[in-house]
Amino acid sequence: MTADGVPTWEEVAREHGRFLYNVAFRLTGEDEDALDLVQESLLRVRRGLETYQPGSLEGWLARIVTNVFLDEVRRKRRRPTQALPDNPDLVVPPSAGADEVARASGLSDEIQAALAALPDEFRVPVVMCDVADRSYEDIAATLGVPIGTVRSRLHRGRRMLRKVLVESGAVG
Amino acid sequence: MSPSELTEDMLSAYLDGELTDSERAAVDAQLATSGEWREVLSEVEATRALVRGLPVREAPTGFWDAILDPNIAAPIPIESARRRRANRALRWTAGVAAAAAIAAVVLVPGRSESKPPVASLVATHAARSSMSQEPISQLATVASGRTLR
Repeated sequence: MTADGVPTWEEVAREHGRFLYNVAFRLTGEDEDALDLVQESLLRVRRGLETYQPGSLEGWLARIVTNVFLDEVRRKRRRPTQALPDNPDLVVPPSAGADEVARASGLSDEIQAALAALPDEFRVPVVMCDVADRSYEDIAATLGVPIGTVRSRLHRGRRMLRKVLVESGAVG
Repeated sequence: MSPSELTEDMLSAYLDGELTDSERAAVDAQLATSGEWREVLSEVEATRALVRGLPVREAPTGFWDAILDPNIAAPIPIESARRRRANRALRWTAGVAAAAAIAAVVLVPGRSESKPPVASLVATHAARSSMSQEPISQLATVASGRTLR
């Protein structure tokens, strides 16, 4: 930790690396891509710490890893995404119940696969909100879109996720 | 807030505590009268809980040790990592291809260019068969076209 309360990049890696890797993995869906994403993010952390203002470090890290991911998506457009219907209302079946929380750990592969099937524009807000625990305002600032757009994409993303999980038989 | 201003995506915001007081009150009123909205809320709530309940994904063993090792110039840019992996794959592929080529030359027997003497073999077989009184072979023709007896 430096005299002005700013951590070194090694401290960030040691204390928040687990958070960073988890978000990176949920965004990319692949360990190898997540490793690359984390390394690139740590490079940006190292550069960015010079101007970092102490605050929500994990919020800052979530923004960095998401931006690195989006830069990669824009650059390569390498990840084909599964087309999903515009209106999830047409396919969503009745609720499966609240005990799904307890089932999450047993379904993690299926949930991850469903997450990976979402188009990037819907997966990113879902991961930022439900994995990185960021506010709509924070997500909007990271993505450079209005809060209303975040709200809409997040909701549609969750509906699509539900549809994929139901179709795969992971939830009833 | 009027009912016409209500949109379904407010249900996610409702769960995330991202609505204003007036929006929240409007959604509560809608939920009280609409079974369809209650159903959507229940589904979105369950899906949200599934993602939030995912276990933390751990990096592969040794990754953080390598990143924090002062003797290693870490972290590395994403493109360098990709190139390094691609080069490794290329070297591996080239090695496998070379090994396969050597194996093909050394281990696979060369194709014989010799032609079997079909006509004489048939004639010999027919002659032997006729001597053993086998009825079918007695009818076999030889290269000259005549039937052996």
